[in-house]
This record gives sequence, structure tokens and C-alpha cells, in this order.
Amino acid sequence: MNNIIQFLLKNRLLMLALGVLVLAGGYYSYQKLPIDAFPDVSPSLVQVFTVTEGLAPEEIEKYVTFPVEATMNGLPNLDHIRSVSNFGLSVVNIYFKDGTDIYFSRQMVNERLQEAREQIPEGFGDPQMGPISTGMGLILFYYLEDTTGQYSLTELRTIQDWLIKYQLQTVPGVTEVLGIGGWEKQYHLVLDPNALLRYDITVNELIEKVKANNLNVGAQFIEKNAEEYIVRSVGLASGIEDLENIVLKSEDGIPIYLKQVADIKIGGAVRRGVQTRNGIQEVVSGQVVKLYGTNSSTVIGQVEEKMKEINNTLPEGIRIVPYYQQKTLVQAAVNTVTNALLQGIVLVGLVLILFMGSLRPSLVVAIAIPFSILFALIGMRYFGISVNLMSFGGLAIAIGMMVDGTIVLVENVDRMLRESKDDETRIHIITRAFREVSRPIIFAISIIIVVFLPLFTLQGVEGKTFRPLAYTVALAMLGSLLFAIFLAPVLSSIFMRKPKIKDKTKTPKENFLIGKLLKVYQPVVTYFVRKRMPAVVITVVLMIIGIIIFPQLGSEFTPTLQEGTIVLRLTMAPSISLNESIKTTQIVERRLMKVPEVMEVITRIGRGEVGAHTDPINSAEMYVLLKDKSEWRSARTQAELEDVIREEVGNIPGVLANFTQPIQMTVDELLEGVRAELAIKLFGDDLETLKKKADEIAAVISRVPGAADVQPDQVSGTPQLLIKVDRHAIARYGINVEDVQQVIRAAVGGETAGQIFEGVRRFNILVRFAPEFRNTPESIREILVEAPNGIHVPLTQLATIEEIIGPRQITRENSQRFITIQCNVVGRDIGSFVKDGQKAIEQNVTLPPGYLATWGGQFRLQQEANKRLAVVVPITLLIIFLLLFSSFNSLKNTLLILLNIPLALVGGVVALWLSGQNLSVPASVGFIALFGIALENGMVLVTYLNQLVRDGVSLDEASIKGAILRLRPVLITALTTALGLIPLLLASGVGSEVQRPLATVVIGGLFTSTILTLLVIPAIYKWFAVKVEYSEM
Amino acid sequence: MNYIFGSMKIVFIFLSLLFIQCSCASDHSEKHKEPAEEKNEHEEEIVKLTQEEINEFGIEISTAGPGKLEQHVDLTGEIVIDPDRLAHIFPRFPGIVKEVRKKIGTPVKKGEVLAIIESNESLSPYEVKSLIKGEVIDMHLTRGEVIADGDHTFIIADLSKVWVNLSVYQKDLPDIQLGQKVYISAGPNTKEIEGKISYISPVVDEKTRTATARVVLNNSDGYWRPGLFVSGKVIIGDETVSVFVPKTALENFENRTVVFVKHKEGFEPQPVTIGRSNTKAVEIVAGLKPGQNYVSKGGFTLKAELQKEAFGEGHEH
Repeated sequence: MNNIIQFLLKNRLLMLALGVLVLAGGYYSYQKLPIDAFPDVSPSLVQVFTVTEGLAPEEIEKYVTFPVEATMNGLPNLDHIRSVSNFGLSVVNIYFKDGTDIYFSRQMVNERLQEAREQIPEGFGDPQMGPISTGMGLILFYYLEDTTGQYSLTELRTIQDWLIKYQLQTVPGVTEVLGIGGWEKQYHLVLDPNALLRYDITVNELIEKVKANNLNVGAQFIEKNAEEYIVRSVGLASGIEDLENIVLKSEDGIPIYLKQVADIKIGGAVRRGVQTRNGIQEVVSGQVVKLYGTNSSTVIGQVEEKMKEINNTLPEGIRIVPYYQQKTLVQAAVNTVTNALLQGIVLVGLVLILFMGSLRPSLVVAIAIPFSILFALIGMRYFGISVNLMSFGGLAIAIGMMVDGTIVLVENVDRMLRESKDDETRIHIITRAFREVSRPIIFAISIIIVVFLPLFTLQGVEGKTFRPLAYTVALAMLGSLLFAIFLAPVLSSIFMRKPKIKDKTKTPKENFLIGKLLKVYQPVVTYFVRKRMPAVVITVVLMIIGIIIFPQLGSEFTPTLQEGTIVLRLTMAPSISLNESIKTTQIVERRLMKVPEVMEVITRIGRGEVGAHTDPINSAEMYVLLKDKSEWRSARTQAELEDVIREEVGNIPGVLANFTQPIQMTVDELLEGVRAELAIKLFGDDLETLKKKADEIAAVISRVPGAADVQPDQVSGTPQLLIKVDRHAIARYGINVEDVQQVIRAAVGGETAGQIFEGVRRFNILVRFAPEFRNTPESIREILVEAPNGIHVPLTQLATIEEIIGPRQITRENSQRFITIQCNVVGRDIGSFVKDGQKAIEQNVTLPPGYLATWGGQFRLQQEANKRLAVVVPITLLIIFLLLFSSFNSLKNTLLILLNIPLALVGGVVALWLSGQNLSVPASVGFIALFGIALENGMVLVTYLNQLVRDGVSLDEASIKGAILRLRPVLITALTTALGLIPLLLASGVGSEVQRPLATVVIGGLFTSTILTLLVIPAIYKWFAVKVEYSEM
Repeated sequence: MNYIFGSMKIVFIFLSLLFIQCSCASDHSEKHKEPAEEKNEHEEEIVKLTQEEINEFGIEISTAGPGKLEQHVDLTGEIVIDPDRLAHIFPRFPGIVKEVRKKIGTPVKKGEVLAIIESNESLSPYEVKSLIKGEVIDMHLTRGEVIADGDHTFIIADLSKVWVNLSVYQKDLPDIQLGQKVYISAGPNTKEIEGKISYISPVVDEKTRTATARVVLNNSDGYWRPGLFVSGKVIIGDETVSVFVPKTALENFENRTVVFVKHKEGFEPQPVTIGRSNTKAVEIVAGLKPGQNYVSKGGFTLKAELQKEAFGEGHEH
């Protein structure tokens, strides 16, 4: 230590230069750091989407989902695979272990996708990976406003898909723009089956003819004189007229045109999603998806710029109107913490000036804050942590602690300067002061860093949420340690002076405030030291209070982060049609519009272009845009407004409505986890058996005492019109199964017969029967199939057609179908409930071979977390213990300091109880921080007491004197920490609900732990004093 | 010392409690429903709606009663000339055409002279006369042409009445009977005419596997041109049934077909048995009594409301 301090003080310029370098590096890092609202809690996941128009869940699973899943098995770092086969869409989620590089996993998936593509039958879709993004990636939603009212939804969608989309995608950081709403333009060939019969043309012949009459070719070049002429032949159909005049066949030189058998018009593609607005209209809308790892606010800014540009080029009257953007949220979240940070700095500064009594030492201490913060920023860049609510929150929490080390040093220097003899040089005094406190400073700060260790082991959502905080706190504390050791002595030697009038009294500059406090404190501490028993009583009483109150605290997971955007999510019956869904949604929209605070409601029903959402059409998400807060009349806060809205919307027949938030919603969807405490997953092959057995299990479980909300997944509920080809019947006519199915597909579903190009825009040509010939079961029965000998047979003679209820979706995990039975447990311990439940199932339900029930759910995660913590927490305590022990070399001293922990906890518990908050993960983080601070304070005092004893002062006297002399540093460190957190405690902005419990705990705990440090420790020090050194005197 | 270890113990208890407590936490309060919800099944299946909601969701209520259930079969076919009203005119003797009196499309009377031909044998001209009253629809002769033996020269047809030959698929044969009413049209949104089935072929064509049903149409205005491809809607049933509801009233609820009935307390699904049906309406054989108020349109909303508990799973948190 001596060498270090001497080196430092000799090379002051070098140290300063290094310090400035760190500051500059921190600032640079800040410029480069991505800014997000919250830490991204999305899992490491690659999604594979396959759109297969018109296929039912069973077929999707068989032909598409299974090959994709099968090829993905055995990928490196694979965690598990989950898939959902829906009507027309297969989604395979490939979850990788946390921390797997997204590009690596995508590359792996892509390699295997090649294989999967080969196994998927022709025409059953092409699997594609989702955008390179996460649950936080949906940064901006917009819709197209058409003030003229002249543009059809098809035209607007064309503008969206071909004009706006491609331009927005050129913005750096935008990985995808997904359109939804309106109609995707198509050329519809609406066939009249009777006309086909009249002219004896089959649908397949017609499709072939259309394809054969719609192409351009190139034919190299010819030489003409000395020049080359490129030869090209143009035969692309350019519009309706060209299509109409395609000749299907010619009879005696009389051509039969396409227009004679089909009505050709521009129509919309089949859609699985709609966007509605205010209950009065449908709109066309788009969603901008941000590239993984880019800076949200920058990207949003650039997207907005681009939108202005695009707006100028759009036809008169059409405008892009953003209705949701994360920017406001990012700004609000960052504002909340930055404000807290700044206010904290100001408060800490005030405390310093008040207690230090002069500007110079305060200045040295204050510099520790920017240094530590900027140091942490460098670290954040290194570890790839974005600026967000939690990481900056960590800095805000640490503000008060960052200065602690330096305070202890500077306070010591300050005191020694005041007490010093005239002939001692300043450098020498600083060296002496540094030597005295450097060890405790290093140990104290190390302990604070160590106590945050358990946070690094948190997993899942909690881990992703709080790890950035742990990182920044640890980094900032490391920075503050470096500052206290390397820079603070240097700066002290530059800034701090000996007091000028020092011969009058010993402590002329002794601060007025401290003087006043001392007047009160001295007799009290003397009393406590002399009597001792009251101190023990106080300790015990406090502990008892804590033990009584603790069980009364409610508990919850991480409080939900308020995003400031209200989303009302509607869930309708699974069998609902899109039109009914739109009708219902618009009814709700109109009810919402009656709330005076609501300015606009934009709703997404189902899904648009795949990539972001996979919702079926029975799900609608309503973005409720509010008027400015100053115009609010019926409510003051968002929570109140939600109540007003709930009231107004009321119970909607056939609709479940609940509030959610955009990011929360997306992340939930990606996590796809079961929200109930307990989930029994029943794996098996046959859907019917699965459903039957799941119902049985549910019945058995609900009889186990403590079971609540037992519910098996509703896997069925989608009506199907099942056409089963009768093989005997087709044999009689010599028809193939495929012939029948082709007709069904083309007639009912529609078949694509090439594309029409308009410049680079391309639109599909869809061949389909006119609605009246295909839209009822009766008319489908009448569809004619042509046999090889030219005769026509109605479908009903070739196949049985029945209406059944089929699965609404098929979920699989690790390549097996499963059904979940969810359940909560009330009034008893989950562990024993699971045991009883397992026994009950064993006794009452016989599972066929190949069927397996597993128990999972939140409780599994909790058990895992508890197991982990059961190891990590004692290890942490052990490390702390070892640190303390190696610092004091005394078991007793170490125990005395550890005594701080329970008393600090009591304060935190009481503070939570008084403020009516629950025990949550952030509150636990607060407790963790509290340990560190309490230990630090204890260390500072005990070290000094030991020193006094070593100097030969009697135990009692040392206790009193030490306490009085250490009043100032202990109070300053406690106050700075507490005041540094006050802004977080009082903040009401976005994200404050996560920080508040933390601040409450720390402030409350500091209160009790400071009392302990100042009164109890001196009082009982005697029992813990180091005997050896005592005897030495 | 004991006291110290005591406090250490508390530290541990606190710490472990802290984590267990917060990690075990869950949203109990939201999830748990009142046990009181387990009412008897009957009560559970009643949906109550205000008049406003009924209007808002477009739920229509009708009273069950008798109605005419018209069932039909759609057939395709073509207009052909009534063979009784068709005449092929063959010149008796080969010869040279001297004079052509009529053109295609000209109406002719029975016995009216169509052309004059000079016989090769007798070298004397003779008259070719129409056998029926009608119209020249085709002719194969020009002046100076040599007409050989067996060449027909004129086709005269009386189109005031035409036949419609409808192809009857195997599956429809049992339903088609003589005398059934048929609506004939030549395409959507064109003139429709009513006729009756006057003949059904006793054999089925071996190739097409269809039988032929004939309708005789009055064609005084010439609209029904032979060769025209037409569709015929054969009315195979036209009875009055005692309880008749539109198909929009039927809902599939818990794998049963139900109709929502309106009581004083609210709407209740009532399983029904269906009799005959057509594309738009059905006959209710059992389950709905005449005079009962039922939901004729918009029953889906009621069904969804009843299923709400079930389908919400996985979304409500």
C-alpha cells in the first residue's frame, strides 16, 4: 500500500491523465450504447414460419411442422423446440440456451432448413425464419390515413406493400416492415362452373392456358449491320383486358375466350388479419420491426424522418400516421432513471457540503460519481448491456454508494489535515490517512460487489431483468473503488488544504451540523456503552418486530413494468369467422370511443404478414390512444382510466377482454410459458385420446385438496367440413384422388395461376369458383369432377362430406403432441400437492402406452431457482465472511459486523410493510444492496475502534470516542445512499414501479442499520473486541 | 455467544425465506375464482343480454311457426328442338336447283313452296314444299346446284315450343319425378321461366351416367334458342312444415345442434332434431315448439358467451 500511494502521489499528472481517459472513454461508450426501454427478456429463440394457404392443423402438422422440427433436433446449444400448427400456419419455435448468439443460432437453423424444405411436399409452403429481432423489436406501428376517401382498401394496401414498405426497409436498423389490413391485390378469375361445363373445359386446363399465355422471353440478339439488336418477346398479360382475351380453346375457328367462362376482376387475397379503427372503418397498417441489437431511439428517429419523406411522395390525401411507437416509452423510461440519477447527484452533493462543511473535500468526493458512472458505461459497452431502465436504475441505486469509499478517505484526510502538526507535509498526511483507511475501503467495496453475486445467478425473465442492474452496480462500485484508491489521494493532494486558522481550537472548522448532532449523540452513545443492556434490548426488539411483520408481507413476482400504452386484448370464440370478429371488435371500439379520454382506437385482428404475430382471427388487440393528460376528466392516472374503460366496455357477450401492454404481450407470446403455478403436460399421439385423458386428469386433480382453477387446454373447437374421398366410387369412374382434390382446391380454395406484373409490383392471379358455387356445403357437394372419359360427376357421388369439430391448433414440444392441464394451488404447499396429485393420477387414470404426464409450470422454475439460491446465498455469505475475516483477522469482529445484516433487514421489512408493498424480486435486490451497505458501515466503525484499541485506549473509551469520531463518515455514507435513492422512491414515471420497492427497502434498512452502527455496535463492542491486541497494551 | 449464533441463524432464515417467498409468489388474487361459481348446470347455460346488446350485436328474434320448405335440385341441360316440330326436307328426285324461294330464318307455312328443282329424270321442275309450319333454320342449296340423292335441303323447325333436356345425376334420380316444377334459366341474372317435368328417360346413358328429364317450354318469343345451355332448378319438395327456422338459427354447441330460445330470464340453448332442409331453412322435428321465441340470427354471440370460460384459457392472466 505504501508503495502504491507513494507512486500515485509522485505521478499525479499521469494519474489525472488516466482519469480523464476513463471519463472520455465512458462518454464515448455512452454515445455508442444502444438505448432501450427495458432489458430485453425475450428468450434466445429462432422462429420458423411456414404459411400454407388453406391447410387444416392436422395437415400442417404432418406435412410441414414435423419435418421442420425433426431436422432441428440435435442443434448445438438447443434448449427445446415447441411448435404450433394452426390453420394455414406452422410456427416452430426453436429455443436455444440463454446467451447463445442470435446469428449463430440463425445460421444453424438455416442450414437445417434446407433439409426441411426438401421434406415438405411441393406446394405446401416454404419455411422461413422470423425477423432478426426480439420481443422488443416492434418499435413502431402506423396506419394509412386517406382523407379523400377515394382509395379502396386494396389500393391502400398496395401503396403500403409496394411503396412504403420497401422505402422504410432501407432505414438502417429496420429489419422488416409487416403489412396488415385491407386487401392484398389479386387478379381474380371468378369461374362460372356451368360455363366450364358448357364449353367443356376443366379447371386445370384453364389454369394451364392462363399460365401459357403470360410470359416474356429473351432470344439473345441479332446482328444488323455493325450493331447488335437484343431480341425480346413480350407476352406478359398486363391487366384485366389481356387476361380476358386469353383463348381457352377454339372450335371451328371460333375462339372461346377466358372472359366467356370467368368474370375477371381485381380482388383481395384471402386474409387472416384485419386492422380496424374507431369502430367505423378498416384501415391498412404496418409494423416496423427493429434489427436485433440496434439502438431503438435512433432507429425510430430515422424511421420518422423517412416517413416524412415518404409522406411527400404519397398520393394527395394519403398520410402515414404512427399510432404506437416505443420511442415515447424509451424516452419516458430513460427519463425516469436519468432524472433520478441527476436528482440523486444533487442530493448527494448537498449532503456532502452540509456535512463536510467545505467545498474542496466535497468536490473531490463528488468527482467520484461521474467517474464511477462513466467507468460503468465503459463496462456496459464491453459486456453489451444496453442503456435501459434497469441498467441505469442500477447506477441510480449506486450513486450514494459510489461516494462512500472516497468519503471515508477524504473525511480521514480532512480530519488529519485539521489535526496535523505544522511541519508535516500535505503529501505525508494524505499518505498516512490513506494507509489508515485503504484496507477497509477495499474490503467494504469488495463486499458490496460480492453481495450482488446472487443476482447474476438469476435465470429466465427475472435474470434477464435484473442482471443488467447487478452488472452496472458492480461496475460502478468497481469504478468507485478505483477512484478511491488511485484518484482520490491524487485529487485530495491537489484540492485539499490545511485549515488556515487551526491554532484557536482543535476543530475550528468542525461543521455546525455535526456539532449539533454530536451534542445529542455523545451522551446517548455514552449511556449505551456504559449500560450495554439497552442496546441488546433494542436489537432484540427490532428483530422481533421484523420476525412478526415479515410473514405478513404479500409477495409477487417482479411488478409489471408500465409501458404507458393501454392495449385491450379481446379473445373471441375459436370458431369465429373473420367478419363476425370484425363486427364484434367494432362494437367494442365504439364502446371505447364513448370514454371521453380516448382519442382513437386502432385494432389488429389476427395476423398480417408473418413475422411478428401468429394470432388467430379470434384474437384482437386494441391500441387505445389517449388524449393529452390535461384533457382527462374521469380519471387521473392510467390505472383509474383502465377502471373507467373497464366500466364502459363492460361485459361483452362472447368476448373476453383484458388489459395488457404491447411489449409485455409480445414477450409473453415468445415465452409461451404456462402462467399457472402448476401445469401437467400430457404427451401422446392421438388427439382424441389426449383430450379424453386430459379431461380425466383434470377431473382427478380437481378433487385433490387445494386444487383451484383446474383447466385442460381447449384444443378443439374449430368446425371443419371434412371431405373424404370414397375410393370405391372414384374407382368406378376411373378418377384419381388427386383429380378430386385438385378440383376441390381450385374450386373452393382457389389456385394461383401465375402473376400479373405492374412494373416491379407483382400480383397473383387467383382462379376460383364464383362464391355461390362454393360457399355452402350444399354447393360444394354439387361441384363437378371430370372423369377421364369426359363425363362429369358431382362431388357428393365421389366423396362423403361431413361437418365435424376439429382441433383449433396442435401444439407440440420436442416433437410430441401435448395438452396442458393448468392448475393453481391454494392453502397448501405445492410440493405435497404434487405428490398427492401424482398418486391420484396413478390410481385413477390409466394412460395408454406411449402417453406420459409430466409436472411443470412456475413451481418447477421456482424449485430450480430455490435450489440455485440455496447454494449461491450461503456461498456469498461465506465469501463475505472470508473477506471480513481476512480484513480483521478476528472471528468476533467479523461476527459483530455480520450482526448488521439482520438489523438492516428489519428496517427494510418494516419499510415495505409501512408502504404497503409486497415482497418482490426488486425488493430482494434492495435487501441485497442493503447487506453491502450495512456491512460497509459496520466495517468502517469497527476498523476504527480496533485502531483506537491498538493505540492503547481502553475499550469503553475507545467505543465512545470511536463512535463520536466516526459519526460523520457513517452518517454521510448512510445519508448519501439514502438520499441518492429518494428520487427513485418518489418517481412516478415509466418504470418507477420496479425501482420503488428496491429504494424502499434500502432506505428503511439504512435507517435501522445506521442506528445499529451508531449505538449498538459501540455498546457491545466490548464483547467482540480483539483480545490479543488488547493484552498487548 | 449463543445470542450471536442466534442472530446468525436469523440471517439465514431471513435470507432463505426472502428468496423462497418471492420466488414462490404468484398472482393468486387474480387467478382464483369464487367457489360459488359452481352453480347447477341449468343456470349456467342461460345468457342474459340487455336490449341494447341485442341490438348492438344484431341478434334477431323470431317466433317459431309453420313455414313452407321448398327443396330443390339444380340440374344443367340444353334446349333442343321438339322432334315433332322439326322437318327435314329432302327433294324427291335429284336435279338442278332452279329457284330458291326461302332463306334461313324465313317463316314458312305448311305446304308453302320452298324451292323449285328440275328433275334429272323428267327434266321437269317440281316444287319442294314445307311439311310443317315453322321457320327455316338451315338450308343446303343454291341456285344451279345439283342436288344428289339423299341430300337434305331444308330444315324447318317450329320453335314456338322447345324441349329442355336436363341431365339428371345418379344421386338426384330418386328425387326427380314427373310433374315437378322446374325453373329454367340460361345463366345467372337472366330470364327465368317455369316449366314442368314431362318425361324422365327410363334408361341412364352408359357414357355419361345421367338420365334425361324433359321440360317443354313455350317459346313464342324465340328466347329459348335450341343449343342454349341452361340450368334448371327442380322443386322436389314444397311442403308446409309445422316448425320452420332459417339455417342461421342453428348453432353447433357442445357437439349438438341447438337453437337459442328466449325465456324471461335470458337465452338458453335448446338441442333440436332437424328434419328436412334446403339451402336456407330447415324443419325442426323436435326441440322447438311453435310459438316459442328463438334467435333466428346472431346466435353465435350467445354461444360464444357460453363458451367464454373455456376459450379464454391461456390468455387471461
